[in-house]
Order: sequence, then structure tokens, then C-alpha cells
Amino acid sequence: MPLNERDTAQLRAALQGAVVKCSERCLYQSAKWAAELLTSIPTSDSLSEPEDSQMTEVPLEGLPPIVVTGNLDPEEAQLEAREINQYLLAKSFFDCREYDRCAAVFLPDTILSGILSTAVPKNQNTSTPKAKSKGKASSTRSSSNPVPKTPRLSQKSLFLALYAKFMSGEKKKDEDSEMVMGPHDGGNTANKQLVVIARFLEAWFSERMEENGEAVGSQGWLEYLYGMVLVKDKNEEEAMRWLIKSVHLYQFNWGCWLEMTALISRVEDLNRISPHLPQNILSFIFHLHTSLELYQSTSSLSRSLDQLLSIFPTSPFLLTCLALLAYHTKDFITADAHFSNLLALHPHRLDSLDHYSNILYVMNLRPKLSFLAHLCSSVDKFRPESCVVIGNYYSLLSSHEKAVQYFRRALTLDRSCLSAWTLMGHEYVELKNTHAAIESYRRAVDVNRRDYRAWYGLGQTYEVLEMHAYALWYYKRAAGLRPWDGKMWMAVGSCLQKMGRDLEGIKALKRALLADSYYDAGVGSSFGSGVRDRGGTMDPEILLQIAGMYERLDDDTEARAYMEMCVAQEEGAADNLEASVINIHADSQSSDDESKPGAGGGDPGAGTGVTAATSKARMWLAKYAMRTGDYTRAMQLATELCQDGVEVEEAKALVREVRVRLEG
Amino acid sequence: MTRFLTPSKIGLLALVELYTDAIVPTSSTIPILSFVLNQLLPNNLKSQPRDLASLQALPFLLDLKAFETLLAAHPAASGLPGRSLWDHFLKKIWDIDSLDALHVFFARRSNLLAKSRDELKKDGEMGIPPPSEDMIILSRTSPFGSFVRRSKVEFERLRFGDALALWTGFKKWRHDSKTYWSRRNGALGRWVGDSALADGEEEWGMEATEMLELVAYGGLSLEDTDEGCVSSDDVEKLLEFQVEQMQKIGSRIPMEVKDKFRSILDESIMIPSLSHYLNFLDAWRSGDYPTSFDNLHRYFDYTMQNRDRLFYQYALMNLAVLQADFGCYDEAVAAMLETISTARENKDNPCLNFALNWMYHFGKAHPNIIKGTESTNMLGVEREGLAFLRIKAKETGMWTLWSSSLLSEAKLGMSNGESVASIFENILKSSHLIVDKNMKSMMGPQVAMYSALWQRLGVTQLSRQYCQVFLSCHARYALFDDTLRFTGRVAHLLSEKGHYDEAMEKMESLDENSLRSWKANQYWLNYRGILRLKRDLHRNNLDAADLLLSQLLQSSGADSDSELSFEINMLHIDYLIRRTDYGRAMAKVEQLAAAMKEDGDDINLRIKLLTMKALLQDKCGRPQKGFSVAVRAASIAWRARLIPALWDAMAVIANILTSLSEFRASVQILISVLPRALECENCSLNAQLYSFLVNAYMGMAGQCEKGSLKRKENLTRCLEFIDRAFNEYSSLEDIKGQCEMMAKKATIMRIVGENVLANDYASAYLDLKKEAALMA
Repeated sequence: MPLNERDTAQLRAALQGAVVKCSERCLYQSAKWAAELLTSIPTSDSLSEPEDSQMTEVPLEGLPPIVVTGNLDPEEAQLEAREINQYLLAKSFFDCREYDRCAAVFLPDTILSGILSTAVPKNQNTSTPKAKSKGKASSTRSSSNPVPKTPRLSQKSLFLALYAKFMSGEKKKDEDSEMVMGPHDGGNTANKQLVVIARFLEAWFSERMEENGEAVGSQGWLEYLYGMVLVKDKNEEEAMRWLIKSVHLYQFNWGCWLEMTALISRVEDLNRISPHLPQNILSFIFHLHTSLELYQSTSSLSRSLDQLLSIFPTSPFLLTCLALLAYHTKDFITADAHFSNLLALHPHRLDSLDHYSNILYVMNLRPKLSFLAHLCSSVDKFRPESCVVIGNYYSLLSSHEKAVQYFRRALTLDRSCLSAWTLMGHEYVELKNTHAAIESYRRAVDVNRRDYRAWYGLGQTYEVLEMHAYALWYYKRAAGLRPWDGKMWMAVGSCLQKMGRDLEGIKALKRALLADSYYDAGVGSSFGSGVRDRGGTMDPEILLQIAGMYERLDDDTEARAYMEMCVAQEEGAADNLEASVINIHADSQSSDDESKPGAGGGDPGAGTGVTAATSKARMWLAKYAMRTGDYTRAMQLATELCQDGVEVEEAKALVREVRVRLEG
Repeated sequence: MTRFLTPSKIGLLALVELYTDAIVPTSSTIPILSFVLNQLLPNNLKSQPRDLASLQALPFLLDLKAFETLLAAHPAASGLPGRSLWDHFLKKIWDIDSLDALHVFFARRSNLLAKSRDELKKDGEMGIPPPSEDMIILSRTSPFGSFVRRSKVEFERLRFGDALALWTGFKKWRHDSKTYWSRRNGALGRWVGDSALADGEEEWGMEATEMLELVAYGGLSLEDTDEGCVSSDDVEKLLEFQVEQMQKIGSRIPMEVKDKFRSILDESIMIPSLSHYLNFLDAWRSGDYPTSFDNLHRYFDYTMQNRDRLFYQYALMNLAVLQADFGCYDEAVAAMLETISTARENKDNPCLNFALNWMYHFGKAHPNIIKGTESTNMLGVEREGLAFLRIKAKETGMWTLWSSSLLSEAKLGMSNGESVASIFENILKSSHLIVDKNMKSMMGPQVAMYSALWQRLGVTQLSRQYCQVFLSCHARYALFDDTLRFTGRVAHLLSEKGHYDEAMEKMESLDENSLRSWKANQYWLNYRGILRLKRDLHRNNLDAADLLLSQLLQSSGADSDSELSFEINMLHIDYLIRRTDYGRAMAKVEQLAAAMKEDGDDINLRIKLLTMKALLQDKCGRPQKGFSVAVRAASIAWRARLIPALWDAMAVIANILTSLSEFRASVQILISVLPRALECENCSLNAQLYSFLVNAYMGMAGQCEKGSLKRKENLTRCLEFIDRAFNEYSSLEDIKGQCEMMAKKATIMRIVGENVLANDYASAYLDLKKEAALMA
């Protein structure tokens, strides 16, 4: 969707406004994001512009005021003008991280407590249970009083004050929480300011609420804050409602979109709320980003990404998305290239480099990973991303204790650092500390329920502990998150097999085979050869398992068919899958002790060559041929076995027996 | 700052690998091995004095240059011809081309080591064949092996940031060889030695790669620091060495070294606590009491946490010594007493013995302070105390203490004037011990004792020789204080013979840096002052002498050396005599004698005082009054075999005899004394003896008849001895003596009737006086 000149200018102006507005409200990350996007719009020959427009107006349009933006609402503008001095004071307090002091500039504690004691009874139905009990206590005291008005403040100041309160609560929460994974670290320290903020906002909204449920003159920021508070309260439905309201009112607040992403845990959810969203470019980006978070990798997604990139060709955010898209389709080489390119463009940018380190880990590129760690450490060694990168590097060096140490550090810096929790779980698995591993995975899942690796890790850990019912449950969660990932299904299948549920197991494993070839095709298509048939290389391991289960079900024909198929994998289908082979094998080779998706490279070349699985299959086939009296076939297979050098003794015995039979 | 690893250590590891690769030819094995060993075990440096010059050229931090000079000379045993070991070495260090490669490098280090039995078994199970016999493999406990193992462990415990610093430091360290390396290997790219950047260049392009390099390696900082090149291990080693040096030599840190130290220590966050100790020593030596006090406390505060209270007594001991050095004797004694009781509690015998020894010496030096603390009962009577110490030292194997207690016993015997044989016995015992245990540091006291003993026995020649032997052979390993004292003694002997300039030269020739130490400097200044004072007194330059004396008397308070202060006092008396202020001189003598009686000081000094008293009586014109004093002095000196003092006393007795008109007896005494006295090489003694002899002969001449042959004979003898006395005086540059002799000569000439000659001598006398006035 190419934009014309005017649209671009408009977009640019809107983004400029967004940067200033976000930073006015101390939403630093959103401001950063908007600014990154803003600078990635290519500037068409900007020199010609000032000449054709009137000279007097250029400074006004070209340069938005950096410190304070105007407000379109005259009433708000008036209020803002009146409060400008306090506002500046409050803002500088916030910048100095003196949150409580910042809040007290506009909302002294006396006012807050006054509002709290009166405002509650009206909104009892929406407040939390904890608030309810408090509300009852206060209602007995002040039920007769008329509701006092919230102080007359501009929305901007109000937002800043309440946001400062929120941040102060977060800060206290961090200070109160124990050492990561320490004995008292339950992960349940709460932000104590939430109740206050929620009550205040309820009062504020109820004052301005009209019949149709819309607050008059509200500009979206307070809705965002309220949504955030509700999210923390786990009131997700309501939160989503308020967040959507907020993006309707002000679309350029990226933080708000991110909160929404965090609330969506399935594709269905995304599809359900899409119609309620405003139709604009931000919503488009949101859709893309959320889909990526949900591990989607459809071609429509890559198409929309391409469209966005045509508008913002150098946006680091979009380039990251591009790389992640490739990562999700297990196309590590492309992902690596994208990230590498990103690194060259923005050497100081650390965001999402942890994903890059995962990719390098899977590709086993130690020098590159070491350089990445070096770079991150030089830029800022106290960023969670840096710590994760370093942790990954140590993990690759097999110094798991050190890796755990760095993941821990990442978590100390940011407890919601998802990848650190998951990766720490992996490390604990390596260290054979299953309890810690389970706890880490659990915390990862608590932070973000969409992380299939954590679910998968949980499953694996329970499988190690031989608690298959639990493992199955977690594997199913993982498979639900990544329905097209063969590895998940394979895990489900083998788990079912171990539990003796062969029929279901066969189903799951067949699905795994299908999933493998799905990715196969997905990638293959980009290389111009859409191979979708069964002839694509399949994992002999899975085939062997399926065959084994059929055998147990006494379905010899099926079993034999799968065994044959398994042996056939040695030659491979064709060598037209040069590029995709790695991906498949990276995934499907994994055994139980491998924790990362697709760790370990696959065999090079088209076919798998002789593996333990194919040899077993061949042995089975030979014995089967013996049983059915097809001695020539048995002879052929047994001699092949002897040549392969696997289980030679048994094969030789078989050969002798066949000879005896043939002679006899 | 890392704990152990530095770029140069990586270089050493590479060198070790080079050695195990069997590339090093047999002929170059020894230099290379000794190079590495010298780095690993710096203590064996001293055992190879032959190579000292070449080794001293090595910098504290090994740079690439040192490796190059070592390796470039040796051809490699294998590989391409024409390649030296240096090329192989460079290949090894340039193969480390990324942070990851560094990790791999360290991970591979264990391949150099011999495998333990378990590992071999495991390898056997895995199907890995055991290493072939002819491979060079390091034993795990060899110096190389332990170095390799330690490096590996240290690397493993590095945090990522430190590993990174090591890598960047290493890159910087090897940078100098880049041009050589890339020339040798054909033109290599800009990013040689950094695979990440080299690989990335294709992908990113030149500009972006440079940008990334700047970001990663922080090329923006302008300062060229040694960061990552120094490990705290190095610093600690350096500090230990410096402290050892300071304790052994007793000098301060040279200025340039101090600056370097500071720059290194500034870099590290963890300041080794030893550096506080170093600061303490330096401040102590420089005489900065508050700072040294402060630093000592700081040092013990920092060491307390990791070494526990066990070392409390050492803290106290250091404190006591420090206090004593700055003249706070009461505090010093209190601290030392606490040291003793703590050491007893902790059963720390070495510390206890040392403290008792110190207490003993302190008690000798400051008896009045010890008296106040009623601690005498701790060691009992002196001799018993020493015997106790000696036995204890023997039991605990503290050889230094043992030999020093033997020497102390010898010294005690000497100052009490006891049997010379037993003194020799003690010295010999100690000597045996010192040679047996190779205690170079004890050589100073030992030689000093010998020298003093021979001096007392009147064999100045031997005494001087001992001094010179020490200065030329042992001074290198001994405390600077000893060197200073011996030099002082040599200068003293020279000045007794009137060689003032030489004596001064000796003093000036001392090491300037060592003289920065406060105490040594004080001693040195005093000694020079004494030399000048002597000269001024002899030249009759009394005003200048007065000035000097007032300064010297001030500085010779309670805290200065007792021998020096006695010398100064004697010179003071001499000054008063020359001023003919006999009353004050007498008072001074009485005062000194009273003080000495109280403290029970050295017998030699007491005799000197007695003699001086008798001499004073003589000067006052009442020589007989000094008779009993002189006889007492002589008898004591004889009993104690204090030969020079004996001759002194005998001279006084002879003089008294002369005054009693017992000329013959006097002459007999003097004639028999003189040849032995000449051995003492003390000009003033000789001159005095000669002049007394002249007096005696003069008296004998007076007893003879006028004009008799006998009289003439005696007068001629007089003239002869006057000349001798005059010579002695003139070598001392003693104007007054010279004048006296000249006057006597003129008188004799007049008696003989040779008026012309008498006139000549009289004018010579006047000339001398004039000259002296001019000199002043």
C-alpha cells in the first residue's frame, strides 16, 4: 500500500506528535518506538518543500514544539496552560524517578484518600474483592455525603500523576520481591497502588460518563492506564474493553497495543477482537506483531510485512518482525541474515537481540554468538537482553552454571523477561535439577501463556520424571500453540505411546509427519519448488514408532508399510530440498534430552543415510520376511544389514538361518 | 582487573603449547623453559646471578617484544624451513581470532596435561587411544602443569565481562605484531584476528563493520590504558616483592616506582590490602607518623576479615615497633606487653619470642621506661632472660632469634667487661648458626660484633677490615641501616687518623634513595655533623663548632642512637675544654657519669668518662686530684681488656706521676705503652702520649744538672718526641696541639741556647695561629 506524499506527511506529523505526547506522559518505550518508526520513513527530497509553502508557517508545521504539545480541546488546553508550572515540576520528578513525589504534585495523598473513601460505593460491582471489603467499611461512613468531585486537572497531568503512582507501586513491588527463585520468591508480590489508581479512575470516569457509556472529552490516555491496572488485576475482559477504547481515542500509543498483545493468547482471540479495532496503520502493525507473537507464519503475514516495509523501509521494529517471521518458519539462515543486517544498521540497539541469540544458538554459530555477546556487553551489560545473550553463549559452551547465573541476572533486572525464564528452565534441565526447571518453566508460562517452548519444556521435564499424564497435558498445550510443528506432535505421540494409547499416538505422530512436510512446503515454496508429496524426507524415527505401534495393535500390513517407508528414507526423496533438509532435521532429530527447539543439526545430503532407526526397521522387515517365508527378501535385507555395520552379529545369525531355510 | 589471567599469560600458555608441540629444537629448549619458569616462579631469579642483567631487562608486564627477542633467535625444529619459533608463536596467538576462539583455546589447554588414570579409563571406554609415548605431556603437578591448570580454572571462573576485558586486552597486546604477521601471510584483511568482524564485512560492508568495531571495542576512548593487562595476581606479587625489599633493605619506594604503583592500583577496584601495608612502610620510613599509623590500622582492618583474629598479636607488634620508632615509648611498651600476652594466649611461640627479644633490647636501650612498667619480672634478670630466649628460639627453630640472642649475650658480656673468651665463644656459636642456616640478614650484627670486639681489643686494623668485608660482600643482602652503620664506623676510623675528607666522602657515597628513609637520614646527618664538628674543634674554629654542637645536642634527644649521643657529649666536653670552661665541662662529666651509673651502661664508655675526669683535673692544674680516678679507670680497663681505654688511662696516670715529679716512672710507663698504643691508630691518643712523654723527659732534664750531658740527652729526646707529637697533631689538623708543641720546641731551643732557632719556632707558632685564624 504505497502512500502518496500527503499521506506520508500526515503520518510523519502524527508520529511526531505521538513521540512528544508519549514522552510528555513519560511513556518512554512508546515514545522510543514511535520515534524509531518516524525516522524510518524515507524522506523525499525535503529541500524543495519549504520553498513552495509560505515561509512564515514552516516553523510551525515543520517543528512541533518539543516540550509541550497543544491540546485541541479548548477546555483541556486552558487547564494545561494553567498547570504548566506544576506539570513541569512533576515531569522532572518523574524523570528523576521520584514517583511518589511526582504524584503528590497534582494528587496530594490527602486528596487521594478523600476520593478513595467516597468514590468506592458507586462502583462496587467492578472493583476487586479486596476493594469490596474496604468499600463496605467506607460506605458506612460516607454514604450520606454527596460525591465530592475529583480535583479539576487536565488529563495530561492526571495521567502523569496516576502513572507515577503506578510506577511507584511497581518499583516497590520490585524492591519487595525476593531473590529470583529464592525460597520466598513466589512471584506473587503485588503492586499496592493498583487499588488506589483503579478507584480514582473509576470515580473520574463515572463523573464524565454519558448515557451511551462514553466519557466526554476523554483523550485515551487514562483509559490506557485503567486498562493496564485491570490487566494487573487479571481482569482481562474488562481490560481489553478499556484498551480498545483507548486506541480508538488515540491510536499512536504503542504501549497500549502491546498491552493488548499481551492479553491475546490464541489466534481465535485475535480474530475475535479485530473487528472492534479502528482501521489504521497502527492497527495493521498490531495485527502483524500479535500474529508473530502467536507464532503465525502465513504468507499473508509476510505480504503485509512487505507492505509495511515499503512505507518504513528501515524500521528496526519491522526488520525484527521480518527476522522473527523467518525464525518461526524455522528458516534460520534467513533469520540470521535479517538480524545481522539489523545489527549493522543499529549497532547500539539491544531490543530483541535475545531472539537473535536463540537463532545463533540453534545454528551452533559460536563465534558469531560470542561476538554478539561481546557487543551487547559493551553497549550495556545490565540489560536483560544482554544477559540473555551471554547466558545463551555460556549454555552453548556447556557451562550451564554460568548460564543460569546470567539468566538469573536478566530476571533480577526484569522479572517479566520471558525468554530468560524459559532458557533458565532449559539450563536447569541440563543440570538435572528438575524441580528448579519446572519452577522456571512455570514462571515463564505465568508471565506469558503463549510460550510453547516453556510448555514443551514442562512436558519434557515431567516425561523425564516419568509422569506421562502431566507431560501429555503440557505437550498438548505446546502443540496447541504450534499446531504445525512436528516436534510437538511427536512429543505428544510418543507420550501417548508410553501411556499405551496407541491409536491416539499413531494419530499424533501422523500429524507430526504432516506438520513436517507442511513447513517443508512453506519454505520450499520460497525456493521455487513446491513439493508437497509424501516423498519429502520424513523422520525415520517417527515412522519406526508408528510402525511399532501398529505392530502392537496387530496390524501387520500397516506396520510393514511404515517400516518400508522408514527404510526408504535412507535414500531420500530427491535432492531438491537442499535448503529445507536442515530445518526438518533440526526439528525432528530431537530426542528427549534435547531442550531447545531443533537443537543439533541434521544429516547433510538428501537422504538420511543409515540411522539406528532405519536399521531397526530393516531388521524388523527381515524378520517379518522370515515369518512370512519370503526368504530371498530376508536374505537381501540381512546382507544389507551386515554391510551397514549395525547389529552385525544378529544380522549374520539371520543370514545363516535364511541359508538353512533356503537350502532346506 | 582479572585475578590471574593477563594477555601475557595467554602468551605464556601459547609458548607452553609450542614447547609441547615439539617444535622447539633441543638446543633452544633451555632458554625457553627458563624464560617461562622465570615468569611462573619469580623467586628463583636470585639463584641465577649470571643472567641477572638480561633478566632485569624484562618489564614487569611481559610485552610482545620480550617474546620476540626470545623466540626470533631460535629456528623451529619442524615445519617450513626459515621459519623461526617466533612465527610459530605468532600463528598460535593469531589463531585466537574471536572471543569464542579464546574460550576454545582455554578449553583445549587440558590436552597439554597428562591424563589421570580415571580419564584414561574413560577414554579407553570411549575408544580414544592413549597418547603416544613420544608426545610431550605435562605432569599435573609440574610447574607448567599447575600453571596450565590454574589458568584454565581461572578462566572458567571469569565473569563474562572479565573474559571480554581479557579478550580486548589480548587484542591490544598482540596488535604490534600485526604488520609482521600479515606480511608473512600475504596481505591479510583489515580484520585479521577477528573472525566475527571479518566474516561480517561481506554482509555488512566496510562502514557498518567499522561502526560495529567501535561499538564493540569502544575505540572512542582516547586514553590508552593498560586495562586487562594487569591481573591482581601480578599486583600482589609486585607488592609482596616490594614489601620484602623494604623489609630487607629498609629503604623507601623510589619515586618512579611509586608513580607506577599508583597508576596500577588506580585501575583495580579491589585494592589488595597489602598495598596499605606498603603505604604504611613507606610512611614509616619517611617519618610520617600520623600517616603510617593510619595506614597500619587500615591494613589490619582490611585483613581482619579474611585472616581472623589470629593475627591480632602481629598487628600489636607492628604497632609497638612503630610507636617505639617515633618515640612514644610508653605506648610502645603497653602494646608490646599486650602482644606478649596475646601471643601467649594464642600459643604463637615465634611471635612471643620475637616480642620478648624486642622487649629485651628495648629494655637495654630505655631502662627507665621499662622500670616504670614493672615488666622486668617477665624476663627476670638480663642474663637469665637471654638464656630463656635462646632456649626458646632453639626449641621453636627460630634461627634468627637464636643467633641474635647469642650475639646479645656476647654484647652483654662485652659491655660488662667479662671474659673475652666467652664473648668469642658466643660470637662463634652465632657465626656457626648463621653460616649453617644461610641467614644473610644476620651477617650485619655478626660482623658488627666482631668489629667492635677487635676495636676494644685495640686491633683497629682487624676491626676496619671487618667493616670493609661487610661493605663489599654482605651489604647487598643486608638492611640499609647496617650498611649505614658500617660506613659510619669506617668514617669514624678515618677521622681518628685525621682523614676527614675521605671520611666525608664515604658518608656521601651512600645510596641516595635509601637515605630518603627518615631514621637513616637522621643518623646520616648526625654522623656528618659529628665529623664536621671534630674538624672544627681541631682547627680551633670554635664559633662554628658551637653552632654545630647546639644543633647536634638538640637532635640527640632520647630517641637517637646511644653511641652517637655519647660521642656528641664527649665532643661537647672537648669543646668546653677548648673554651677553657672547665667548670661546665666538669659538671657535664659528672652529669653523664651519674646518668650512666643509673642505667648501667657500657663499661667502655664509663672508663672513657673516668679518664676524661682525670684529664680535666690535669687541665685545671690539679692533676693529683685525678689520681684515684685514673687508677680506677686503668684497673677496670685492664680487667675488661679494653686496650685503647687502658692506654688512655695509663697516659693520664703517667701524667699524674709527672706532676708528682716521678719522671722516671712516668717515662717507663709511657715508653712501654707507646708501641702498643700505636696499634690503635688513634692519632689523638698518640699525640697525647707523646706530649706526656715530652713532659716527663723535660722533668728528667730538669732533674739533671745544668749543662750536663744527661740533660742534653733528655732535651734531645724531648725534641724528638715533640716532633712526633707535632706530626700526630698536624695529621689531626689540631691547631692547638700544634701550637703547644711549637711553643715547647721554641722553649727548649731557648734553653739549649739556640736563640735563632727558638725565634724561628716562635714565628712558626705565630704563623700557625694566623693560619688557624684565617681558616676559621
